Amino acid sequence: MANPPKIVLNLLKQLDPYKEAGSLLMVLNALGMIFAALSNTFAAASDKNTSAQDKKILVPAGLATGAANIGLYYAMTKKLIKGLEKSADDHLKTLKPDEIASRTLEFVNTKINKAQKGTLFGFGKKSAEYIDSMKNTLLKDAKPTDYALDLYKNNFKAGAGVLGAFIGAVVGCSILTPVIRDVSAYVVQKIREKKDPELQNKPYKPYFDPAHLKVRYHGKKQPLSLKTYMAFTNSTNMKI
Amino acid sequence: MKVNSIQQQSQNYKKSQNFNGFIGAVGKFVEKHPVAITSLAASSVVAQKIVMSGSEATIGPVVDIAVGKAITKATNEKDGRTNQSSKVQAIRTFSQSLGGTITGVIIRSLCIGAMGFLAGKATGKLAQIINPQGLDKTKDMFKFSENVDKWGKSIGGAVAVGVMMFTNFLIDAPFINQINKHATKFVDKHSKKPVLAENVQVTEKKQDKEVK
Repeated sequence: MANPPKIVLNLLKQLDPYKEAGSLLMVLNALGMIFAALSNTFAAASDKNTSAQDKKILVPAGLATGAANIGLYYAMTKKLIKGLEKSADDHLKTLKPDEIASRTLEFVNTKINKAQKGTLFGFGKKSAEYIDSMKNTLLKDAKPTDYALDLYKNNFKAGAGVLGAFIGAVVGCSILTPVIRDVSAYVVQKIREKKDPELQNKPYKPYFDPAHLKVRYHGKKQPLSLKTYMAFTNSTNMKI
Repeated sequence: MKVNSIQQQSQNYKKSQNFNGFIGAVGKFVEKHPVAITSLAASSVVAQKIVMSGSEATIGPVVDIAVGKAITKATNEKDGRTNQSSKVQAIRTFSQSLGGTITGVIIRSLCIGAMGFLAGKATGKLAQIINPQGLDKTKDMFKFSENVDKWGKSIGGAVAVGVMMFTNFLIDAPFINQINKHATKFVDKHSKKPVLAENVQVTEKKQDKEVK
């Protein structure tokens, strides 16, 4: 396999999964959110049916909504991940070596069991050779090796970080995003109504979606009415 | 320079204390459930997507409707446009999270599988990053495959974000539209006041009259 370019290699180094599993999940999620916000805004900016006046409001509003959403998600999740990783680390420091050894032994046995039996329908079942290699690496005279102890500590800390990333993703996606999206769409609608009072008699979508401005019904351009609006409630809204 | 009032500063301090208190409470949970927490370390973006979209499908629509009601109440809106729009959005949120999860999980899993496979075959500088300890496949089978597995998950997760920029338009958008269409019909059929369908009919009648 040929070597990828230097920039890709450097990027891959940033994605080091050994230490910060939670942060990695958060960064990948934030990247997806950035792309989604940019594609929404780009769609508004490049839409031929949107007037230049509307674009002046919609494009900055789309960027601002995306930035607020992603910024809040990132700040909250980062604090959660770091806080939980620290509390897991502090907890490990309070444990006696015997306690860590017994926990590690339990962790190793579960891991070996899982490799022997596999998960659902035997999926992920490993070969006898692999299990031998696993036992040699993780156990010595029925006691966990130094490698196994390190692996347990790392996994406990990383697991706490992943829990933080999950909580951040749930709160961000289920609460922050809808609130920011719905409120900002309402504000944008009010600004547009001030400039164009006719819009007050027309329905609007409670989220920033440039697609609803492209009103095409049965393939023809139509004025924005409730009927065409309802037809367009089934339109696209990008999400990664 | 703007200086916050003492009251505001104390409120900000309380807010940060509340958040730290929340982290502390979750930290206690972490201490009490070491087995579950340790097993979470192996999670990939697939697990994150399932957790995230599962909650979005259940909590998201409730939040949408609550925001719609709050805006209607706060602004004393009489025609109920925001309320009605929030119902449309609630159905849409559900459809999006359901459709997004199905395609998202499949694409992420495929990318992780493919990248894991390639990571196992990497050579040169890429192999040094994936396998910094220079582990031998035949001698350290367990350690080597753990390394490859972890890298497959991280690189595969990153590749999936790129891939989904295209599949979003090609697969997600039409798929979500179909779910949304059926979900809207289902809600209208089972609700006492089928607001969405009723409005369409009223508009159609009005337009018919105008034509006549």
